[in-house]
Amino acid sequence: MSRLIDRGLEQLASLLFQMGELADKAVSLSLNGYIEDTSTYEQVQGLSDTLAILRDEVESKAFELIARFQPVASDLRILRSYMKIAYDFARYGRYALDVQQIYEKLGGLKECEDWVKESVEEMSEKVVSMIRISIDSLKSHDADTARTITEIERQVDDMYFKYLDSLMEKAPATNRCTISSVLVVRYLERIADHAIYICESIVYLATGKRVALE
Amino acid sequence: MSYKFEIENLNAWFGSKHVLKNISMNIREKAVTAIIGPSGCGKTTLIRCLNRMHEITPGARVSGRVLLDGTDIYGEDVDPVRTRRKIGMVFQKPNPFPMMSIYDNVAAGLRLNGIGDREKLDSVVERSLRMAILWDEVKDDLRKSGASLSGGQQQRLCIARALAVEPEVILMDEPASALDPVATAKLEVLIRMLAKDYTVVIVTHNMQQAARVSDFTAFLYLGELVEYGHTKDIFENPQNELTEKYLTGEFG
Repeated sequence: MSRLIDRGLEQLASLLFQMGELADKAVSLSLNGYIEDTSTYEQVQGLSDTLAILRDEVESKAFELIARFQPVASDLRILRSYMKIAYDFARYGRYALDVQQIYEKLGGLKECEDWVKESVEEMSEKVVSMIRISIDSLKSHDADTARTITEIERQVDDMYFKYLDSLMEKAPATNRCTISSVLVVRYLERIADHAIYICESIVYLATGKRVALE
Repeated sequence: MSYKFEIENLNAWFGSKHVLKNISMNIREKAVTAIIGPSGCGKTTLIRCLNRMHEITPGARVSGRVLLDGTDIYGEDVDPVRTRRKIGMVFQKPNPFPMMSIYDNVAAGLRLNGIGDREKLDSVVERSLRMAILWDEVKDDLRKSGASLSGGQQQRLCIARALAVEPEVILMDEPASALDPVATAKLEVLIRMLAKDYTVVIVTHNMQQAARVSDFTAFLYLGELVEYGHTKDIFENPQNELTEKYLTGEFG
């Protein structure tokens, strides 16, 4: 016999899965647009706004379940983790929008040297793969899947600092390119951090242990 | 960190029925320890073993050691009546002496111990009723029957009666199960206040009550101690699957 709280937890999980899909779409659309020199600002803005609304819905639903059922043990950990993850998903959307805003203001990578384009592309791929790990570990509630993110996060961090070092050494052709790419790379690094936070929430949800995966 | 009780391999039987199995746990002084578990798991028997009340039931038997301040209360030369004097008990249903006034209910224990001095009695009755957060509600009606009070007030009167004889430990067996939510909330505030001066052990079937009032929680199942620890840890991250299932309502 399923418990009364189960229906609410299922609704919350479904909202989060929806957020995961939208966040993945927002980041991918934004980065592809940026790399391929195409504005996807309006679509990304729509997705980012929807993510913000869904985040509020998750929070309201979680508070309702706390008030109605006084959850404890794994139920309590699920609610705490889901609220945090909803925030992280909303941040994915917000950073995706930030990338497109940079594109609107400063343009993309067209005038940049090849090594800049390659760096941004490579880092983007890694970050999107981190987003997908965070979504997969949420769907499976699997702490082992969540833990696999650490290695990629380390690579993203390395790329980020290597990129900043290279910038100092090689100084790209135009200032505009420098500013644009630095900002975008910074957002990528922040998205990676939120993917880590999600995976930390999954480890907590599944095992009760608070771990730092960074 | 000091322990009021150290329970070692405690077993209890009703006739041939083995109701507590090898319970070993230490109960912290001046803290609230909650005992939770499904009906029939041995919660009430466990606290009744702490003041030697279990053995009063015909056919009941106990083995193991229960150290109170380091002395085994089941030791050969220990007087159970003296032990019980240190340990007050509050029951599920408020049980004030129905023919006595509020004042006499609280003074009863002292009078039994031979104290008849009016001033002394007045002062203990007032202090006990204040500690039980009942004084302001009854101070003008001390001669009224204890039975005339509401259920919640009667339960606090029983606590005042227990406090009057200056116990060190207060055992509570489902003390709020007959009370409405407002009376329950007052009782829970009182329990927290009592923990400043007394060791409180509370049996409750209301898990949220255990979560609200206790510092430590023990989960019993089929007479065995399954898990025992800080209430925060038990309710947030139980280590045993049985505890997890009981707390989340998968059985019980």
